Amino acid sequence: MLWLLFKESILFAWQSLVSNKLRSTLSLLGITIGIFAIILVFTIVDSLEGNIRGSLQSLGNNVVYIQKWPWSFGADYPWWKYINRPTPQYFELDEIAKRSKSTEALAYRLGGRRTLKYKSNAIENAVVAGVSYDFYKIKSFDLSAGRYFTRNETEAGYHVAIIGTEIAKGLFPNEDPIGKEIKIAGQKAVVIGVIKKEGESMLGVSFDYQVNIPFNFARYILDPRSMNADPVIYAKAKPQVSNAEMIDELTGILRSIRKLKPLAEPNFALNEISLLSQGFDALFSVIGIAGWIIGGFSILVGGFGIANIMFVSVRERINIIGIQKSLGARNSFILFQFLCESSLLSLIGGGFGLILTYFITLLAKSAMEMEIVLSGANIILGLSISVLIGIISGFVPAYTASQLDPVEAIRSN
Amino acid sequence: MKRPGLISVLCVLGYISIVISFPQVFSPQVKKLGVFMPALSGLLVAANFMAYVGIWYMKRWGAELFLSSYFLKTILDLLLAQMGLMFYSGQIFSIFFIIVLLRHYRRFDLNL
Repeated sequence: MLWLLFKESILFAWQSLVSNKLRSTLSLLGITIGIFAIILVFTIVDSLEGNIRGSLQSLGNNVVYIQKWPWSFGADYPWWKYINRPTPQYFELDEIAKRSKSTEALAYRLGGRRTLKYKSNAIENAVVAGVSYDFYKIKSFDLSAGRYFTRNETEAGYHVAIIGTEIAKGLFPNEDPIGKEIKIAGQKAVVIGVIKKEGESMLGVSFDYQVNIPFNFARYILDPRSMNADPVIYAKAKPQVSNAEMIDELTGILRSIRKLKPLAEPNFALNEISLLSQGFDALFSVIGIAGWIIGGFSILVGGFGIANIMFVSVRERINIIGIQKSLGARNSFILFQFLCESSLLSLIGGGFGLILTYFITLLAKSAMEMEIVLSGANIILGLSISVLIGIISGFVPAYTASQLDPVEAIRSN
Repeated sequence: MKRPGLISVLCVLGYISIVISFPQVFSPQVKKLGVFMPALSGLLVAANFMAYVGIWYMKRWGAELFLSSYFLKTILDLLLAQMGLMFYSGQIFSIFFIIVLLRHYRRFDLNL
């Protein structure tokens, strides 16, 4: 019985929508734009958040970055307090390794942009990173060809290099790079390995565009004391050791190495991935709220449009309502019929909004090589908002229609 | 049936609260609570709105729907530990409204 009522109401609603195509289209435009705006923002935020969280995970949650500058978000960054701090030095890595009990691995890295050359091929401003031997224990990557450095190569500063996939493609379009001699800022180096393609990273740390060389070789190319080289010591905690415990120990060791007085401010920063996560959480929360406010009000306006069109629809069909009621149609049937019409109208509008969002995600994927996915959760959200706004905006007109007196309704023009 | 002035005022305030609470249905905070949470909380907002319409026309189903949606919403808020300023102000308003509805309960129309 209920199914028949539902089927009949949907049929009535469909006929009404089809007989007034232009009016229906215009009234559902508001909902289409509203759903499109809100779901697009949620989709972009979710996708960016997923990508960034994935990138952060790859950096390692149990790794602490010993640097000159602390990671911080916000406008009031007191840079003047940090500008005169010394940069982390390679000898400090050795000292920490000797004294630390909580770290599983320690590595040193400094970087810069230099020109790479192989015969007539050249890549300008390529990222060159000088790393210590244990770097592979901190940052996980696979090699598609060749091998990693030996301890002897890193410590003696052999002129060897491990290059990223995109660098390999640029310098050796038709050749196997292994064993070939390239020039890094004029210094010769033999390619011993190629890192497997990693893909784009939201944080700009993809190995695809990097050349890794032993630290003691990098000294000839990059200045470890320069702020531009951004030297960093990575410390990875042992499995049972928390980051907080490791930070406590590292603080003590570094204060001792740098001979800081007990009350002196530390002249180093111990940065954690969680600091970045917190910063991004705040950023995404702001974007999400902005999208929600813009989309929310678009939907609200769309809802008023639907309510308006439903009042017109009731007015136009007042005679039919009278006839239906005089033939025995119950108030609930009339109410249900108009509610179905408004919900259907809103659902179609929302559906178009979702389709539009889907096409935008495809466009973004092909144009920017960015992974933007319209998730099931966002589709459910879009459809439920559509039905909801349809019910809310159609209820008053539907209820008014259901309360009409059949005799007066038939007699009205 | 003539509608008491106090109920008219409370209904208007209720309509305003619906307009304010509607965008909250799909806010990032509610979305984080679960996939079906926006739909569920949206359904409660819709029920609340229908209840105000029913009360506006002095229908008993409106008062009953308001009571039911109030209890469901309170249970949901308690389960989700959503007890901020909005929760307490909503509680005060709803309890006052329920008292007013109960005082005039006999005057409400039994038909749809």
